[in-house]
Amino acid sequence: MAIWTHYYIPQTLDEALSLLCREPQSKAIAGGTDLLLELQQGRHPPVRTLVDLSQIAALQRLEMSQGALWIGASVPLNRVIAWPPVRHFATALCEAISLIGGPQVRNVATLGGNVAHALPAADGAIALLALDAQVLVASPEGQRLQPLLACYAGPGKTALQRAEIIVAFQVPACEKEEASAFRRVMRPQGVAIAIENMGIWLRRKDERIEDIRIAVGPSGPMPFRARQTEQVLRGKPLDEETLAEAEKVLKSEARFRTSPHRATAEYRYHLAGVLLRQTLQTAWERTQLNFAEELGPLSVKG
Amino acid sequence: MKWVGQSVHRVDAVGKVTGETLFPGDVNLPNQAYMKILFAQRPHAIIRRIDTSKAEALEGVIAVFTAKDVPNNEYGLIMPDQPVLCGPGSNKPYADRVRFIGDQVALVIAETEEIAAKARDLIEVEYEDLPVVTDMVAAMQPDAPLLHPDRGSNVFCHYRIRKGDVEEAFKRCDVIIEGEYRTPSQEHAYLQPEAGVGYIDEEGRVTIQVAGQWTHEDQEQIAHALNLPLEKVRVIYPAIGGAFGGREDMSIQIVLALAALRLHERGINRPVKIIWSREESIIGHHKRHPFLIRAKWGATKEGKVIAAEMQLIADGGAYAYTSTKVLGNATLLCTGPYEIENVKVDSYAVYTNNIPTGAFRGFGGPQALFAAETQMNRLAEALGMDVVELRLRNVLREGSLLSVGTPLPKGVSIAQVIEECAKAAGWQQTEDGWKRPPKPQNPAPHLWRGIGFACGFKNVGFSFGYPEQCWATVELYGGAEIERAIVRHAGADVGQGAHTVMAQIAAETLGIPLERVRLVLSDTALTDNSGSASASRMTFMAGNAIKKACEAALEKWRAEERPVMIRYQYRPPATTPFDPQTGKCEPNFAYGYVAQAAEVEIDTETGHVRLLRVVSADDVGKAVNPIQVQGQIEGAVVQAAGYAVLENFVQKDGYVLTQHLSTYLIPSVLDIPERVDSLILEYPDPLGPYGARGVGEMPFLPLTPAVIAAVHDASGVWFSEFPLIPERVLRGLGKLKPLPAS
Ligand SMILES: Cc1cc2nc3c(=O)[nH]c(=O)nc-3n(C[C@H](O)[C@H](O)[C@H](O)COP(=O)(O)OP(=O)(O)OC[C@H]3O[C@@H](n4cnc5c(N)ncnc54)[C@H](O)[C@@H]3O)c2cc1C
Repeated sequence: MAIWTHYYIPQTLDEALSLLCREPQSKAIAGGTDLLLELQQGRHPPVRTLVDLSQIAALQRLEMSQGALWIGASVPLNRVIAWPPVRHFATALCEAISLIGGPQVRNVATLGGNVAHALPAADGAIALLALDAQVLVASPEGQRLQPLLACYAGPGKTALQRAEIIVAFQVPACEKEEASAFRRVMRPQGVAIAIENMGIWLRRKDERIEDIRIAVGPSGPMPFRARQTEQVLRGKPLDEETLAEAEKVLKSEARFRTSPHRATAEYRYHLAGVLLRQTLQTAWERTQLNFAEELGPLSVKG
Repeated sequence: MKWVGQSVHRVDAVGKVTGETLFPGDVNLPNQAYMKILFAQRPHAIIRRIDTSKAEALEGVIAVFTAKDVPNNEYGLIMPDQPVLCGPGSNKPYADRVRFIGDQVALVIAETEEIAAKARDLIEVEYEDLPVVTDMVAAMQPDAPLLHPDRGSNVFCHYRIRKGDVEEAFKRCDVIIEGEYRTPSQEHAYLQPEAGVGYIDEEGRVTIQVAGQWTHEDQEQIAHALNLPLEKVRVIYPAIGGAFGGREDMSIQIVLALAALRLHERGINRPVKIIWSREESIIGHHKRHPFLIRAKWGATKEGKVIAAEMQLIADGGAYAYTSTKVLGNATLLCTGPYEIENVKVDSYAVYTNNIPTGAFRGFGGPQALFAAETQMNRLAEALGMDVVELRLRNVLREGSLLSVGTPLPKGVSIAQVIEECAKAAGWQQTEDGWKRPPKPQNPAPHLWRGIGFACGFKNVGFSFGYPEQCWATVELYGGAEIERAIVRHAGADVGQGAHTVMAQIAAETLGIPLERVRLVLSDTALTDNSGSASASRMTFMAGNAIKKACEAALEKWRAEERPVMIRYQYRPPATTPFDPQTGKCEPNFAYGYVAQAAEVEIDTETGHVRLLRVVSADDVGKAVNPIQVQGQIEGAVVQAAGYAVLENFVQKDGYVLTQHLSTYLIPSVLDIPERVDSLILEYPDPLGPYGARGVGEMPFLPLTPAVIAAVHDASGVWFSEFPLIPERVLRGLGKLKPLPAS
């Protein structure tokens, strides 16, 4: 069954933007791992024209510049994973996208799609939020850099307009004493979306957490920053008393729900404590590693 | 031996690896039309009216068929209790009602699949909903809504076993263990969803090419529903993408034949093709029976089990399918492979508005043995006795009487199988009996490990009085030596490798190279009735038929006959049905025996249970093709691991909530046990071809109780319900706290 009528492969951003403006019922497509499934299962309004973003040079960027990583929105995840700076300076992101789907999915899936699909527990998005990534968005009016959460309108609803394209993500590189980690709990089979995931970035000062960002999914309609929990942890040593307090606050500020046949809210609240302790501990230990050192095996799925 | 016992390449390997082999979905015929089925999508209702006019008016629609177009609107493998198409105008009473969401209501045939789907959605059906009953215990109540009003009760099968006097025996027991066990449903999830083509062949036969398990039974059911003589119906199986029992009953067979026939009668001679989506497959074919089992077993302090009382209730879903046979098996196996002097069993199969349940690898055995083996493991705990030691003190031996009052056929090997498995898993035989290996070390404080043990047995071949038989034909051509042997056989190769085994047995018996054996297979026009690829019977039955046909052919060959043609029917010793009062019978003519040990790890933070290692010892009599046997063991262990740990088929009020493979999780390569040690044992069956028994189902049987025991070893908690999904595990461990009141 054909699910589109026209398929364009523009070479430039301008071309892509004008196609999206001009063609009725048009839609951008990157790896298609979310979009094609939704179209096939009838969960997406029908489209006539697909505009393929995979050949546009501006969306294929992978570079370090002025203390930040620039990751093109349509670079396939397997290439992002293989790019050493991601592993060293944005470890949580490397861990997160290494867990997405299986090798076949990662060969084509992209970070642009992961964010534009707008699920509150997308692994890439949770890691990007913890890393305080900015998003470079192109529209017919020009380009703008905006915070990640400005891309979200609700569960599975992006705030981006049809003729707006994510060009790249700007991810601040971890500096000395800074580190990040990502953990998730899956249903046993280990594909598809996480039951719960968490990304943590922190900066350490001696035996205390100087600064921290915690992102959790799925809590509420979009990727969730646990700001009250962060506040509890800021300036504290990583001891049992702090952890217990942080766990309590996280469970009160997060909004977990039951998803039928996947997980109950009860289970998710339980996991929040488990994930907080594990992720925090890992990020904390990583702050002591020199960047020149190997990080050791990440929980990367073969 | 030159061929039997060798891991020769499968005869179907090259074609499947290169993609040359056609599965039913790949078969395309010139000028074919496409069919879509309108499913009821509601669990219980009377169809008051069907209006197909809008669908018929759609451009590209060739025909729409409903109940009134079915010549004899009933079918069923054991009893014809299901309409082919539900709706008014049927020749059978009560065929105007739908009883589960996958009941078929109308067929649309069109130029393309898209048009057929569109037209299907234009059909208007007026339903009058009926009360829905989905709980098997509720369905047994006298005031429950009846699914089949002509039957007067939803209980459609009841067996009894009465051996000795359990009441008196319980008084003599030092320990008594009682349990209530619930087992889940399971989806077959074969690789290839239902698909096929139907057409009128060059000799005017209504012909279908589909995947199934028994060509001649499909033929018979089609002929019955279409009111045709058998010889006017032809069933051909191309390559089959898995079955596991899920293709024993009809899905698309009758409706494909019906469509081809009715089009032909209208002067339209076009093949009809259908392919079910995964979602259609999941609601369209039966599932494994959920069981509720109440058990009470007692033993003396010497470790002798002297009484077992069992009550089994099986949710049959909307129609009988093979429920009566599955229940029979469960009734026999629910007291395990043990000689118990006093046994009382009552078992029931019940209609509900759930998806019908039927054959699935193990055929009632996994459910029955989950209860029996868990009872045994709990008895061992209560007695302070090793689980292997307790089993060996009670196990069936040559001459022991089954619960049904008769001995097993000769070649009883369960004691040896238990011992071999135990040894491989680290048990030791000491002066004071068998001793389990030390508990495995926990790799982290929250990761708990444990080892569990269970065993089982199961019949090879059809049971309880069924006139079991299997045909084979052998033709020999050549001059001084046999240049070519043609073996004709209907037996289905559902992926297990049956055809390779047939060729090996022929080559061995005839003493010729394997390459000289040509197989003509699975076509009712060219081969005789072989019985089904089920009950772990194909190697045993086909093997015997082919071996004996080859022996007879050789004799003629030696007498200088050229060419030789032998048609041979193998019939094993007769069996008998349960006595209605006492259950006394001779249930089976052959068995396979199995024991397994499982090592698990529980993540007590997330609730995930991981299988680290499984040792599976299977007495297969003779491994005709050892690597295929290993494939069966590993495949069964993986499928059983899914059953035990993650496959969670959810139905609510008659609707399936897990209709996709993204919501119904089967094991992926990430979830399978890290290590499976297949111990292939060969204690020959006196009746088996070259001693062979069967293997398809046995390695599925004891895995769940072994895993449950391993989880108990790790955590101290007995689970009486599975799959062991994370939340169930955490609740069982008391780790999932109720939500804080907000
Ligand atoms: C088997 C399987 C397993 C999966 N497992 C996971 C998992 O473990 N974790 C997880 O988070 N996700 C998972 N996913 C979901 C999916 O793979 C990811 O969300 C992926 O990152 C989407 O990227 P894509 O390029 O394929 O997006 P597409 O499907 O191409 O696009 C998704 C949406 O984003 C829009 N879009 C794409 N690129 C842009 C852009 N540059 N600018 C604006 N809009 C854009 C499209 O128009 C569309 O609406 C899985 C999917 C499958 C099929």
